[in-house]
Amino acid sequence: MTGDTLLTLLPFLIVVALALAIILIDLFLPDHDDLIMAVGVGGLVIALVAALAIGPLPWDMGYFAAPASIGEPALYTRDLMTSLLDLAFISIGLLTLLFAPDYLVPRKLPLPEFAATLLFAISGGMLIAGGQDLLVLFIGLELLVLPGYLLAGFAKRDGLSTEGAIKYFLLGSFSSAILLFGLAFVLGFTGSTQVSDIAASLGAIFDGSKPLPLALAMGLAMLTVGVLFKIAAVPFHYWTPDAYQGSPTPVTGYLSVGPKIAAFALILRIFVEALEPLRGEWALVVGVLAAVTMTVGNLAALGQDNIKRMLAYSSIAHTGYIMVGLVVFATAEDPEVAASGIQGVLFYSVAYAFMNLGAFAVVAALQRRPGVTSQLATFAGLGYRAAVPALLMTVFLLSLTGIPPLAGFFAKAIVVLSALEVGGNMTLLAVIMMLNAAMAAFYYLRVVVYMYMRQPADEAAPVSIGWYTRVGLWLAAAATILIGLFPAVTGAILEWTEAAAVALTRL
Amino acid sequence: MIDLGRLDILSLIIFTPLVGALVLLLLAPLLKLARVDIEAERQDDLMRWGALLTALITFVLSILLALAFDNEATGFQFVQAVDWIGFFGIQYKVGVDGISLVLVLLTTLLTMISIVASFGPIRTRVREYMISFLVLELGMLGVFLALDLFLFYVFWEVVLVPMYLIIGIWGGTNRVYATLKFVIYTLVGSLLMLIAILAIAWTYSQATGTWVGAFDYVKLVEFGFDPTLQFWAFLGFFLAFAIKVPMWPLHTWLPDAHTEAPTAGSVILAGVLLKLGGYGLIRLNLPLFPDAANDLAPFIIALSIAGMLYGAIVAIRQPDLKRLIAYSSVSHMGFVTLGIFTFNQQGVQGAVFQMVAHGVITGALFLLVGVIYERTHDRTIAKMGGLGQRVPVFATLMVFFSLASAGLPGLAGFVGEFLVLLGAVTWEPWVGYVAGFTIIFAAVYLLYMVQNIIMGDVTDFLKGLGSRLTDVNPIEAATLAPLVLLTIVLGLFPALVLDLIALPLEQVLDIVGAVAPGDASAVLLP
Repeated sequence: MTGDTLLTLLPFLIVVALALAIILIDLFLPDHDDLIMAVGVGGLVIALVAALAIGPLPWDMGYFAAPASIGEPALYTRDLMTSLLDLAFISIGLLTLLFAPDYLVPRKLPLPEFAATLLFAISGGMLIAGGQDLLVLFIGLELLVLPGYLLAGFAKRDGLSTEGAIKYFLLGSFSSAILLFGLAFVLGFTGSTQVSDIAASLGAIFDGSKPLPLALAMGLAMLTVGVLFKIAAVPFHYWTPDAYQGSPTPVTGYLSVGPKIAAFALILRIFVEALEPLRGEWALVVGVLAAVTMTVGNLAALGQDNIKRMLAYSSIAHTGYIMVGLVVFATAEDPEVAASGIQGVLFYSVAYAFMNLGAFAVVAALQRRPGVTSQLATFAGLGYRAAVPALLMTVFLLSLTGIPPLAGFFAKAIVVLSALEVGGNMTLLAVIMMLNAAMAAFYYLRVVVYMYMRQPADEAAPVSIGWYTRVGLWLAAAATILIGLFPAVTGAILEWTEAAAVALTRL
Repeated sequence: MIDLGRLDILSLIIFTPLVGALVLLLLAPLLKLARVDIEAERQDDLMRWGALLTALITFVLSILLALAFDNEATGFQFVQAVDWIGFFGIQYKVGVDGISLVLVLLTTLLTMISIVASFGPIRTRVREYMISFLVLELGMLGVFLALDLFLFYVFWEVVLVPMYLIIGIWGGTNRVYATLKFVIYTLVGSLLMLIAILAIAWTYSQATGTWVGAFDYVKLVEFGFDPTLQFWAFLGFFLAFAIKVPMWPLHTWLPDAHTEAPTAGSVILAGVLLKLGGYGLIRLNLPLFPDAANDLAPFIIALSIAGMLYGAIVAIRQPDLKRLIAYSSVSHMGFVTLGIFTFNQQGVQGAVFQMVAHGVITGALFLLVGVIYERTHDRTIAKMGGLGQRVPVFATLMVFFSLASAGLPGLAGFVGEFLVLLGAVTWEPWVGYVAGFTIIFAAVYLLYMVQNIIMGDVTDFLKGLGSRLTDVNPIEAATLAPLVLLTIVLGLFPALVLDLIALPLEQVLDIVGAVAPGDASAVLLP
């Protein structure tokens, strides 16, 4: 193992080492929550810097100018997508960790175990981001979801949390198994677990003129079902609301972004990179499901009066929006347009991570006092009880709605633009997406209505928010605003996602 | 004419309100830091005067712009272009021509007046209110001055949020319903407009092979899109603007929003926000999609006339003063869309003039309703009566603006309506005749309203108020005086506006391909 091999995996290794370090610290120095936070936050910042330093970055910066791989043939590659998603996952871990103490400590839930479990989960996502072999991808997936089940059931004395965790675990295991079955079909048909080999052998034998061989069709169907479970697309979304509502709120925030983005990374590696020759075969299914997913998600969110459940359904809608980028890739004839669809997927994922985590963090912060529910009513008059969190929540909600010039607006604009580039039926999908966005405004703005246009209940206690949460909230808000308003940042992410997408679609 | 040198006056105008809003936002924390202790009451006053000062500076800057503006030059002036998102060729590009200039002046004036008009009525959360108002001004000015379609869209949406808050927080009893309805209506339109913007930008970039200039208004106008794209993109833009104007049958958000909004919110809503739609039609729909505009003009004219008649007839039966004026807005704004789509000089000039006149007159009417509401906490027409005996100054103003709104010759309301009707008759005589009925209906509902609340005996309800029913106070007089003046001046000297807008409108009409039979102001001014 050479130095470069280690460097390729460095951010991943740092996160895993950090998780182990936290377990050890907790073993020898129990009840040192501040130390755990210092080590966790510090370590993640180091991982962030390391991921930036080793690259590769799209401007010939960083240690690796070109993609670097491990293994021959490659098992793990560090390309532009890996580095981008590494940063995203580390940021997600960092923010989630910052939001955790305010919720966990008052409820006497152990912080060190939470931190270690979270870090393991993050590392799974990072492994998927760079996976070049079906087995590595599957290991990454399991590394991601197993800690996720633990986190969902973290409040083990809470009935709802346990119920959500069990549903999440059962459906998650089923879908993993289905996915694995699909992978086996692909392996059987192509004789390789290697992403580029699969693409090459499929490209050689399948040109789209003949119907798909049955075995491959089975494999493709199972893979599709498997990943649709993971991203919580309709009709495989039923676990989401219960799992999200039951989980401790910081965990819900994490579940709504971490595993979702990781699952999209899995799709990018398997469907976009390995099964690229088959893209026309799943275009119709995913296209229809994208429209159904966003519409069902939004319709269901309209009626929710529990904000965690509402955000859960809205996250289903956002899944639908991101899927539009995939459909663009699947239907586009022009390779540049196909890449722009993938660019949309990546850009949307990054923007979505910050705004959605931020929104959940405000919910979590209000629940610092045990007993506060996540009913919409707890937000009544928040604008006058806690001005800053309410203001930041407004920023997150406006961004989720897609109001310029915030991150969420650009994310939607880029996805819609890529759909328009394909034209034809995709224009219809773009219109459906925009009408959905208008529908979503209704329930996002209802929270703003509660915060600013309703009087607080008499017994509403003053809101106090810890320092970790405050720092995290400001970071998430800064990202949400900067990605939208600050041209250098917007441009940088646009270039990065485009370069990553072009590399991924092998143009 | 004055020379502003290399000053980026447009950006200065757009962002002065933002600077003011930030100062207001940070003032309280800074005072706390500096350990200056001032009571909440004084702090609110500080916010009020700070906002007024900001609006005043913006107004003065816009006057400077008007003085420096050359109304004989073609094309946009004071253009400033900076790369914003180079990846897609999106620029921060602003520029002004005669059409945007008159609307900018209207905006800065009405914002200033609205802020003064809020001094009394707004007693809670003054800081947030004033910040919302200044951000609103930023958005409106940006829409009128943007020359990049993406930038235009951003400003378009920026307008939405503060108005949502102004109605939702400081509005009447049913405010939440009204404000959500307003937002959802507007969002549906604007999101479809976004699709249209992206679609034409993509087409441009495909044809030219580069994203550079793909959102640039000037380049897109020169490009010429194929008819199918024109048709769909036209509809995308049109829906957004038609909702904003609002055109029948998309108007239903307006009466609710107007009724629930605080007085100043209604003033800005009627005075400027509705004009965003009319401006968008002239600035974007006509030059960008001339073929589609020609094809669809008859339908839009039909909708306009339906709206004009519908709004006027419904207004007759409204029990609430604000609802009455709201429906009269639907009717009056029908003139604007009618004039625009006649594609002749009289029609479009009349449309733009009508936008300015309607902004001034209806703004004043809402201020007057605010005056009476402050004292009676009621707007029901049936409860009023004999106001002429009790509050003569108010009554005089009410009669004055009602007559102006009904289109009395010599006042501002007449010019626009007359020109639009002239344009309509030129386009198709019977259309003009049918549209003319609107003016009769307008006289009916306005005189009916005046008769009910001003004339007759003082009602028991008003008697019960006793000495609380006072006449217009100095602050209210100060807000109304400039509008009285403008109504008269614009009525007597319409060339003040028409000279500014004639040239840019001629260019628009050249693109749409309609014949422009002579200068409209020649008809009015021998």
